[in-house]
Amino acid sequence: MPVTVNILFFAQARELAGKSEAEFTIETPIAYSDLVKRIVDEFSLTELQDHLILALNSDWVWDQEILNLKPADEIAVIPPLSGG
Amino acid sequence: MSVSEDTQQLLTEIKRLREELAIKEKHLHDLQTEPCNCKYLENNDFTTDEIIRYSRQMIMPQVQIDGQARLKRGKILIIGAGGLGCPAALYLTSAGVGEITLVDYDEVELSNLHRQILHSENDINIPKVQSASDKLKNINNNVRVIPLKVHADSNTLSRIIQDDKYDVVLDCSDNVATRYLVNDVCVMNDIPLVSGSALQMEGQLTVYHHNSGPCYRCLFPVPPPPHTVTNCGDGGVLGPIPGVIGVLQALEALKILVQLPDVLSGRLLLFDGSTTTFRNIKLRPRNEKCEVCGVNPTITKLIDYEQFCGASAHDKVVNIDIITFAEQTDVKDFPQDLQNNIVIDVRPELEYKMCSLPGTFNFPYSLIIKDCDKVRKFVESKVQDGVTDIYFLCRRGNDSQRAMLYMKENINFEAVQYHNIKGGLHAYSKYIDPSFPVY
Repeated sequence: MPVTVNILFFAQARELAGKSEAEFTIETPIAYSDLVKRIVDEFSLTELQDHLILALNSDWVWDQEILNLKPADEIAVIPPLSGG
Repeated sequence: MSVSEDTQQLLTEIKRLREELAIKEKHLHDLQTEPCNCKYLENNDFTTDEIIRYSRQMIMPQVQIDGQARLKRGKILIIGAGGLGCPAALYLTSAGVGEITLVDYDEVELSNLHRQILHSENDINIPKVQSASDKLKNINNNVRVIPLKVHADSNTLSRIIQDDKYDVVLDCSDNVATRYLVNDVCVMNDIPLVSGSALQMEGQLTVYHHNSGPCYRCLFPVPPPPHTVTNCGDGGVLGPIPGVIGVLQALEALKILVQLPDVLSGRLLLFDGSTTTFRNIKLRPRNEKCEVCGVNPTITKLIDYEQFCGASAHDKVVNIDIITFAEQTDVKDFPQDLQNNIVIDVRPELEYKMCSLPGTFNFPYSLIIKDCDKVRKFVESKVQDGVTDIYFLCRRGNDSQRAMLYMKENINFEAVQYHNIKGGLHAYSKYIDPSFPVY
């Protein structure tokens, strides 16, 4: 069943996606790897796909996890920031 | 006497006076802080002045005299005396940490001053660690500040860590390779690492390897491809962003030293200055399979971190040379006649608007490679007007080479010669007119 969630982009993901947040409609339940793939394909983040943290409603998402998404869930896409 | 001689003489005199002042201040401090054996103080660790100075934090139940004594016994290592290191060191020094070691190889530049708040106009070209430690000693002479002007790499950092027993390390560096290095050093020596970073309008903060929490490699086992990493020199940063993160690094370090609960370990703080929002992300616990902090670590000695990351351990731009010698034009031969020659400045539009050479045309490199129709039409019309030579220009002469190669492969006119202005606007400022700002 598809749900519409909110994707939040940080650091380089924000730059590549060209926005800081977006609504995204996606099937649920969904495996972590499929979720990453859908997001990086949709928002031109392929270069970052092995270098980011995903958080669902501010909680770390495990790479083996199957996620049950609800409408308006927040998924944060967080690559590391290294400047200082 | 010429202006530059005048300036030089004044600089020398100011330097001498500063040294004289430092000696007198040290003398005064020694006189004022002689052990007093004050009959009113239960704990002789502190002088009367120290009790007064730290009273506002010592009267807090969270700190008290025991917490202050822990701070005084504490030793902190700060990697980087820039946008993060300056505010962090400032608060740690003010709070009365016993010993603070600052590591940075770099000198102060004018473009640092909007965010690196310990450095001043008079410190340009002097080592950052020297400038920072001078200011810190002025603020609190009770603190032993040790400036180490050295590039943090596997060799130097292992020596620094062996020479002293640090309670906390602060990663205030500006590049990926140093971040992996500092992480591995902290795991191998079992020291909590307060890691901060900042760019443009965003900051990140967490504490690694503390109370069995995760390390940097647990979260990011593989370094990002170098071309996806933006540094402050290219992306820019608003001063208060590293200011906020650096101050919070100091807070977490103080909490660790005083032994307060709820240190930011296993959590990542994201600060978004554009909306002024803080978010706390719950992180994974330590990865038992982590290559450095896992149960059976495979990395037990420091490695070559520049090789591991495929990038240099600093945030300076490494210049490229991807075109032929004949295509390189020395900036001294910059075309005077802008009728038969045209100069295309390939910097981003916002940089071009900030400062540019008169008579040049702006076609940003990122737009040229995205859609070259606009520049093709422009060049075509100029060729019809009789232009024979096209010069490419940018900030340092790197993107202009990339743009030129792209043009050569995609928009080639037989009647036109392409040239690159070697060293770009930095070279222009150095050899032609220093009033063009080097940024």
